[in-house]
Amino acid sequence: MIRIEREAWERMVAHAEQCFPKEGCGVMVGTAGAVSRAVALPNVYDGPQEDFFVMDPKDLNRVDEEARRDGLEVLGIYHSHPDCDAYFSKRDLEHSCPWFSYVVLSIKSGRLDHANSYRPDFDQTVANKEELVYG
Amino acid sequence: MAKILIPTPLRQFAGKVDSVEISGGTVGELLASLTTQHPELKRHLFTDEGKLRSFVNVYVNDEDIRYLNKTATPVAASDTVSIVPSIAGGSPAVAEASAAAAPAATLNKDEILRYSRHLILPEVGMEGQLKLKQAKVALIGAGGLGAPLGLYLAAAGVGRIGIVDFDVVDFTNLQRQVIHGTKDVGKKKLDSAAESMLDINPYLQVDKFETALSSENALEILKDYDMVIDGTDNFPTRYLVNDACVLLGIPNVYGSIFRFEGQATVFAYEGGPCYRCLYPEPPPPGLVPSCAEGGVLGILPGTVGLIQATEAVKLILGIGEPLVGRLLLFDALGMRFRELKLRRNPECPICGDHPTITKLIDYQEFCGVPKHQPEAVATSGDIDPVEVKALIDNKTPFTLLDVREPHEYQICNIPAAKLIPLGDLPKRLNELNPDDLIVAHCKSGVRSAKAIDLLRQSGFTKLRNMKGGILAWSDKVDASVPKY
Repeated sequence: MIRIEREAWERMVAHAEQCFPKEGCGVMVGTAGAVSRAVALPNVYDGPQEDFFVMDPKDLNRVDEEARRDGLEVLGIYHSHPDCDAYFSKRDLEHSCPWFSYVVLSIKSGRLDHANSYRPDFDQTVANKEELVYG
Repeated sequence: MAKILIPTPLRQFAGKVDSVEISGGTVGELLASLTTQHPELKRHLFTDEGKLRSFVNVYVNDEDIRYLNKTATPVAASDTVSIVPSIAGGSPAVAEASAAAAPAATLNKDEILRYSRHLILPEVGMEGQLKLKQAKVALIGAGGLGAPLGLYLAAAGVGRIGIVDFDVVDFTNLQRQVIHGTKDVGKKKLDSAAESMLDINPYLQVDKFETALSSENALEILKDYDMVIDGTDNFPTRYLVNDACVLLGIPNVYGSIFRFEGQATVFAYEGGPCYRCLYPEPPPPGLVPSCAEGGVLGILPGTVGLIQATEAVKLILGIGEPLVGRLLLFDALGMRFRELKLRRNPECPICGDHPTITKLIDYQEFCGVPKHQPEAVATSGDIDPVEVKALIDNKTPFTLLDVREPHEYQICNIPAAKLIPLGDLPKRLNELNPDDLIVAHCKSGVRSAKAIDLLRQSGFTKLRNMKGGILAWSDKVDASVPKY
């Protein structure tokens, strides 16, 4: 289960809606399974961003260092699926990392429709849905 | 002592510390000491085979080691090593979205009974059987290898099988292509195969592609499948299937057969080699005979096809050790299996670190196959079997030269013919008179064309090649001559 505090949740949703129709992505930081901070990161994918995102490892490292400094940890990754349901796609799975919860936000016509969270396995073959609590 | 920064999600596996000071000359050595100190970290960073996981990036100071010397990158005491996950993803292509929108697969009562022996295997179980049901496998060819593959994958409960084939069942297929029966001769292989498979398992969806796989259609056909199983018997298609799989990022379950020997492996699996890593160049055309020319033990494709089927099912279930990076060699006469290690070639033009092939090419040309092979054989030196018959009937003096093998001669022959197998021809030239007209024939006209070339190079001038070989003789002149 992952719990996202209201302020962080609103920030994630606002960012994902703002990126529409492109995919937005970011990092969720907190402690003990509760996300207290959402950090929006640029999508650095150099192809069409409507259906793909890539995070710059340097951005990710920077967020990790800030979290470390504040006694927090990186708990998860969020990204949006513009005009598409919030499930863990094959492409998500193929580029996933089992260290994190993955929150997928379905943004339809620019507004949040629904969201789900997943935990991928080590072999990038299966992602189990986990309970997502926010607000 | 260099410093390794532990990413925050992994701190719990590293004694809750932020960083570890470790000595070691290279990144590989540092990571090895790190995982010895903190064994729980190992599976987060390395695969069971000891390779760095695909989602793990390692930086020495600001530099990604992938662009330095990988795990052999040297590390100085003043350096900081960071472990950073690689994060990307994307919303799916339309086909995937509609599949995901469909209700989750379940098994009905009949299916539960049908798959009972799978369901009680803990390694398969309900979860595995549903994976099989949701799996989409493309089968290239419904021939020797395709026959056992189609039958067993259908029986095992693979939900969707696409078959690419444009051939028709003939009598010579029945010795090994057990998916087709005598009643199917003359039918499209696609229809005959689908009928057998659906008879075994009506829950199966068979997608039929009545076409030759080509550079123009391969990606479009294969993109909807999770993996491809190669049951073809020619080099252009093998390279095409390989390249399409690498470009689509799906595994290529490979098998090949010849006479009494077979090979199998899984290509284009993440991190593993591809067909081009094993064979960067095709053999010269004509050097490796096909099964139609060289023959094949009928049971052999059963053994090899079922090795492919086993690997396909393992990949779908995610169990066991896939046949990746290992070429399995099977010798039916010795009844021995051997394994050769295969490695991905970082210089490979398609799956290497800097690929130069980024789209499908002309594979006929790549393999040196002449564009219009029948015309290439049909040179001015050709003679029709009917004309040959006339030469015999008119008692025209000439030599009819059969260049097939003695065991083929035993199956059928033209009584007037002199048998000198192609391989013996160079040392038996003295048995031929250069002043005579020589008409060469073989089974279908390919080997006799080579014989004609050889004779011409040896100074013979009055040469003709009997078009279509003894098969055409049977069609046009003497139907009592059996075809094989």
